Amino acid sequence: MPRLGLLQRPQPVTPQAGPRGSGTSTFWIFSLGSAMLLLMSWLLPWFVRPTSSGVGYSPMDVVTSSPTGIGTILVYILAVTMLIMVLSPVLEIAYRLRKEATPRRFDTLRGIAAVIGLVSTVAVFVLARIMREEPLFGQIDSHSITDSAVWLTMAGYIIAAVTYGARQRVTHRPSLAFGAVALPFGLLLPLMFHQAPDFILWAAESLAVYMLLALGLNVVVGFAGLLDLGYAAFFAIGAYTCASLASPKHSIHLPLWVLIFLGAAVASMFGAVLGAPTLRLRGDYLAIVTLGFGEIIPDLATNNVGKLTGGPDGISSIDQPALGPIHFGTNKEWYYWSLLVVVIVVIILLRNLERSRMGRAWVALREDEVAAAATGINTTSTKLLAFAIGASISGIAGAFYGSIVTVVTPQDFNFSVSVSILSMIVLGGIGNITGVIVGSFALTFVIFWVLQNLNEWSGTLGQTINVPTLGNLNFSQYTYIVYGVTLILMMLLRPGGLIPSRARQIELKSGGEEESLAAVQGRA
Amino acid sequence: MSDETTASAARATAGAIGHGTLVDPRGLSARTDRAGTTRPAVVRTLAFLRKLYGLVQRYFPQFLIAGIAFAILKVYANGGLTLMGAQIKNALVLGAIYALVAIGYTMVYGIIELINFAHGDVFTLSGFYAFVIAGLSGGAIGSLATHSGIGLLLALLIIFPTTMVAAGFTGVVIERVAYRRLRDAPRLAPLITAIGVSFLLEGLMLVIFGADNRPTKLSSWITGRAVRVAGVDVNWKDIFVVATALGLMFSLGAFVRITTLGKAMRATAQDRSASLLSGINVNRTISATFFIGSALAAAGAIVYSINYDLIQWNLGYQLGIIAFTAAVLGGIGNIVGAGVGGFIIGVISVFGGQLAGGEWSNSLVFAILVIILTFRPVGLFGVDVTTRA
Repeated sequence: MPRLGLLQRPQPVTPQAGPRGSGTSTFWIFSLGSAMLLLMSWLLPWFVRPTSSGVGYSPMDVVTSSPTGIGTILVYILAVTMLIMVLSPVLEIAYRLRKEATPRRFDTLRGIAAVIGLVSTVAVFVLARIMREEPLFGQIDSHSITDSAVWLTMAGYIIAAVTYGARQRVTHRPSLAFGAVALPFGLLLPLMFHQAPDFILWAAESLAVYMLLALGLNVVVGFAGLLDLGYAAFFAIGAYTCASLASPKHSIHLPLWVLIFLGAAVASMFGAVLGAPTLRLRGDYLAIVTLGFGEIIPDLATNNVGKLTGGPDGISSIDQPALGPIHFGTNKEWYYWSLLVVVIVVIILLRNLERSRMGRAWVALREDEVAAAATGINTTSTKLLAFAIGASISGIAGAFYGSIVTVVTPQDFNFSVSVSILSMIVLGGIGNITGVIVGSFALTFVIFWVLQNLNEWSGTLGQTINVPTLGNLNFSQYTYIVYGVTLILMMLLRPGGLIPSRARQIELKSGGEEESLAAVQGRA
Repeated sequence: MSDETTASAARATAGAIGHGTLVDPRGLSARTDRAGTTRPAVVRTLAFLRKLYGLVQRYFPQFLIAGIAFAILKVYANGGLTLMGAQIKNALVLGAIYALVAIGYTMVYGIIELINFAHGDVFTLSGFYAFVIAGLSGGAIGSLATHSGIGLLLALLIIFPTTMVAAGFTGVVIERVAYRRLRDAPRLAPLITAIGVSFLLEGLMLVIFGADNRPTKLSSWITGRAVRVAGVDVNWKDIFVVATALGLMFSLGAFVRITTLGKAMRATAQDRSASLLSGINVNRTISATFFIGSALAAAGAIVYSINYDLIQWNLGYQLGIIAFTAAVLGGIGNIVGAGVGGFIIGVISVFGGQLAGGEWSNSLVFAILVIILTFRPVGLFGVDVTTRA
C-alpha cells in the first residue's frame, strides 16, 4: 500500500522554528550585551576606583571635566548614542510584549547611531591620547585615557552596530554573527583591563582555559550525549603531564609548545582507557562511573603514586615559556593570546568534526544507541573517540593551566571543577559551540570578576552608608551557589540553554515521551 | 553473560582451527588466518580480558566475600585479635551510618529512578539542624542530656524527631521545587538538577556556617564503656549508633511491608502509570519517599555527630558517594540491600584503609563503585536494572 508510506511520513518541521529560535537568542544576548558593556563603561570609574587607585576613565569623567569646543560636541554625541543603545533593549522588550516586530527604521537608526558612537569614541581616543588635545577635554590624565572604558565602549558599539545594523544576518546566521562579534572582543579583552589589577588578567586567562575545557566537555556531553562528571580528571592529567615535564621536579624542561601536544596525547589516552569500562553503561550509571574516576585520579595525585606527583603539595615552579624575546612569565597577557589562538583552532576543528561522519555518528548514538548500532555504527570506537577527543582538549587546557599558575595541586581538580564546566555548557546550550562559548564567558565573568569585585564594592558601600557588616561579606564563597542555581534554573526553565542547539531542542521536546515509553517497555 | 562466553569460545575455536570456517563477528581471526600466522598477542589479550570480564561478572559476590575475608584475616595476622576486633567495631559503626544514608538513595532511585545527588548534602544539613537545635535556648538540651540517664533519653527524644522532621521537609521541598517538573524529562536532566541542588546546599552551608569543621558537642552525650570483648572497648556510643541504625532500618522495612503508604510506594516503584490508574496519589507517595529518606539521613547525621563530634559543609559530598556505592552494591532500589551494602562498604573502607593506609580508603570505595557499575550494575541482591540504567 503506497498510501501508508505517505501517511507515515513525519510532519515537516516548521521552517522558522529552529534557526529563528537560536537566532533570536543570539540577538537578545547581543542587544543586552552591548547595553551592559556601554553602561559598564560609564560606571566603570565607580566600579574600579575602590579597588585600584586612579585607574578608570569613562566618558563620564570627560563630562565632569567640562570640555570645550569640539570636545563638548563629541561628548554629547557619545552620551546620546549611549543612551540610545542602553535603552534599546527596553524598546525591544516593549515591542515583544505587544507581539509586534520592531520597525526597520528603528534598526537603521540605531545602527547609524552605533557607528557614529564608535567613530566619536575613536575620535576622543585619538584626540586625547595621540594628539594630546587636552584643552578640549579639560583636566584628564592622558595615561588613563587608554584604559578599560575606551575598549569597553568600542566593543559595545561594535556589537550594537552588528546587532541592529545587520539584524537579518544575526537572526539567520547566528554563529557567523557571533564569531564576527566575539573575535574582536576576545582579542581586546586583555587591553580592556590594561591597567587594572592582576586578577582581571587572571580572569581572562581562566576564561580561556575554562572555555577550552567547556568545548572539550561539550564533545562528550553535547555531541555524544555521555554525561561525564569526572572531566576534571583529564584536566588534571594534562596539567600534571605539563608540570612533570617542565619543572625541576624531575629535572626535565620541555617547552610548552611540545607539552600541549604531549598533554593532549596523554589525556586522550587516559580518556580512551577510562572510557572503556563505561562502554556498556548508559545514562546515569555512566555519569557515576566517570564521577568515580574523577575522584580517584586526584586521590592518586594526593597519595603521590610512584613519587611522581609530589603529594598534596603538588608540583611547583613550573617553567613559563618564551616566544622569541617575549617571556610569558613577565608578559602574562601573551598566555591569553596564545590560548585564544588555541581556542579558535579548536573551535574550527570541532565545527568540522561536528559535521563530519563522526559527528553524525555521535548524534545517532546520542539519539538511540541500538538504532545507531543497527545502522552499522561501531558504538565502541565512536564512544571511545568522543572520550578521547574530549579528554585531549582538556589536556591542552591542563598544560596551559599548569604553566600559567606555575603550581598544580590535587585540590585544583576536584569535583567542583567538573561541575563548573558542566554548568557552563548547561548555561550556554548543550551541544552548541556558540552556546558553550557564551556560557563559559558568562559564568567566568560572574565567578572571576563580579564575585571578586563584590567584596570590594560592598565594602565601599558599607563604608558610605555606614553599615559595616556589608564589608564583612565574603562573596567568593558564593561560587557554589552560583553553579547550583545556574544548573537548577537552566534545567527547569530552559533545558536547551541560552542558545539551544537545534537538534537538541527537538530532542528535548520529544525526549520525554520516548523515555517514558522505553521505561514502560523495560518493565513489561 | 553466557552468549558472551560462547562467543569468545567460538572465537577461540576459530583461531585454533585456523581455516576461518567459523564466521568471526569482528573479523579478527579471519585477518590473522589470511596472514597465515597464529593469533597476535593483542587478540589473545582481548580474548583473555573478555574471559576475565565474564568471570568477574559471574562470580562477583564470591570475589567480594573472598576479598573481604582475606582483608580481615590479614589484619588479624598483622595486628592480632585486638586490632581485628577494634576494626570490626569501627566498621560496624561506620557501616551503620553509611547504611542509613544509603537507604535514602535506594528509595529515591527505586521510585523515580533518580540518583538524588543532593542526598549527601541533606545529611550534612541535618547535622547542622541538630547542631542548631541542640544549641537552642543556651544549650539546654545539651545540659539535659549530660545531666542524667532520663535526661539523656529526653534529649534524644527531642533531638531525633525534630531534626528528622526538619530534614524530611527539606527533602520534600527539594523534590517539589527541583525534581517534580522534570519527572518525565530525559534521564540526565533531573540528574543535572540534582547536582545543582547539591551545590546550592553546599554553598548555603558554606556561607552560613563557614568553611571550618564545626564541633557539634553532641559527643559528650553518651559516654562510658559497655563491655570489653577480647581487649576491645565497646562503648555505649558504638552500641547506640548500631542499634539506632538497625532499629530504624527494621521499622522502615516493616513500614514498607505493612502500611498502605508502604504498599503505595512499592506499587509506584514498580509502575508509576499503573499506580496512578489504580488510584494511588503518586505525588504524595513520592513526597513521602523523600521525607523518609531524608529523615533517615538526618538520623545518620545525628549518630554521626554523636560519634565523631564534627560536621563540615562539604562532608556530605564524599559520604554521599560512598553511601551511594553502598546502595549500588546492595542492588539499587532494594532497601535491605542498601542496609547490607552499607555495612559491607564500612568493612571495606575500614579494613582496606587499615591495610593500604587510611589515605587510600576513599579511592578504594570509588574503585569498588566503578567495578560494581561496570561488572555487575545489579549489585548483590538487585533485580536486573541494566535496561533501565
